[in-house]
Amino acid sequence: MRKVHNVLKSQKLIKIALEYDEISNTIHSIKITGDFFLYPEDSLDKLETNLIDTKLEKNSLIQKIRESLDDSQAFGFDSESLTKAILGCLIH
Amino acid sequence: MNFKFNKIRVLETGKNTASWNMALDEVLMKGTTEVPVLRLYGWEPPAVSIGYFQRLNEEVNVKKCANLGIDVVRRITGGGAVLHDSELTYSFITKRYPQNIIDSYKLICDAIIIAINKFGFNAKFSPLNDIVVNGKKVSGNAQTRKKNILLQHGTILLNTDIEKMFSVLKVPPEKMRDKLITDVRQRVFGLDRTFEEVVIALREGFREKFHAILIDDKLSNKEEIETERVAKEKYSSDKWNFGR
Repeated sequence: MRKVHNVLKSQKLIKIALEYDEISNTIHSIKITGDFFLYPEDSLDKLETNLIDTKLEKNSLIQKIRESLDDSQAFGFDSESLTKAILGCLIH
Repeated sequence: MNFKFNKIRVLETGKNTASWNMALDEVLMKGTTEVPVLRLYGWEPPAVSIGYFQRLNEEVNVKKCANLGIDVVRRITGGGAVLHDSELTYSFITKRYPQNIIDSYKLICDAIIIAINKFGFNAKFSPLNDIVVNGKKVSGNAQTRKKNILLQHGTILLNTDIEKMFSVLKVPPEKMRDKLITDVRQRVFGLDRTFEEVVIALREGFREKFHAILIDDKLSNKEEIETERVAKEKYSSDKWNFGR
């Protein structure tokens, strides 16, 4: 397991704390914080849970984020920017 | 957008601690009837509030706040960290509101804009959640919806003390701090009016926007007791404030 962080300035600031499995390249745990808005607010917990075991590659992440936030409204980020923020953890 | 309320319950609750202020917003939200509530208040001691999705240790120098006697609290609303010092805070709680989120922000911000413009400014709504004067932010707002009740609270800057703000908020390394302070100073605007003057203007702004009769009221005993409980058990707790 490896722990990494990233900060991405989208419309709002997105901060990612990620723990991932280097062998399977999947998410072990993720915490998403920032000054964005998301309605309803508990969608973020659902998203963080749903992202566990998701492969760290663009299409899988975008799809999982879209599915998880299907009934929610986010302001300050979208599925693409959140995916970019997550994958940015691997660059740093 | 036209939206009419026959009456608005007005609570001028003075200056209180961060935990009490946030507790009262929650209590009022749970108890709201068909009559919306406008609450006008301040913070004593000064406080930093962070957004629901923020992590306190990442955003705020908690130790420095403690040394300076500044409260810290996490809000039930999203958005960023705010230093509540030279400013006035309002809360508006209603059961009736536009379902579209931007529309609902704009509706309530319109009342604030009417208030600010009474001082001769040309304030405008800047989606999603800001009000600007000449492009500079004078008011930040945040809302949440629970069980079909909307709470929007926000601040109206009276004066700006950017150095104080950056002394308690965690910002990038020192070499970027000066530039950041300069940038923020160019982007925010204080009304340079007293708390009391802005209270009067806000009352007028809400009355005009919603064609409402303002009903001045006090907290009930039940509300006071519940607020004390929620302040102590939730908003003073590390479990909540450091909860993300």
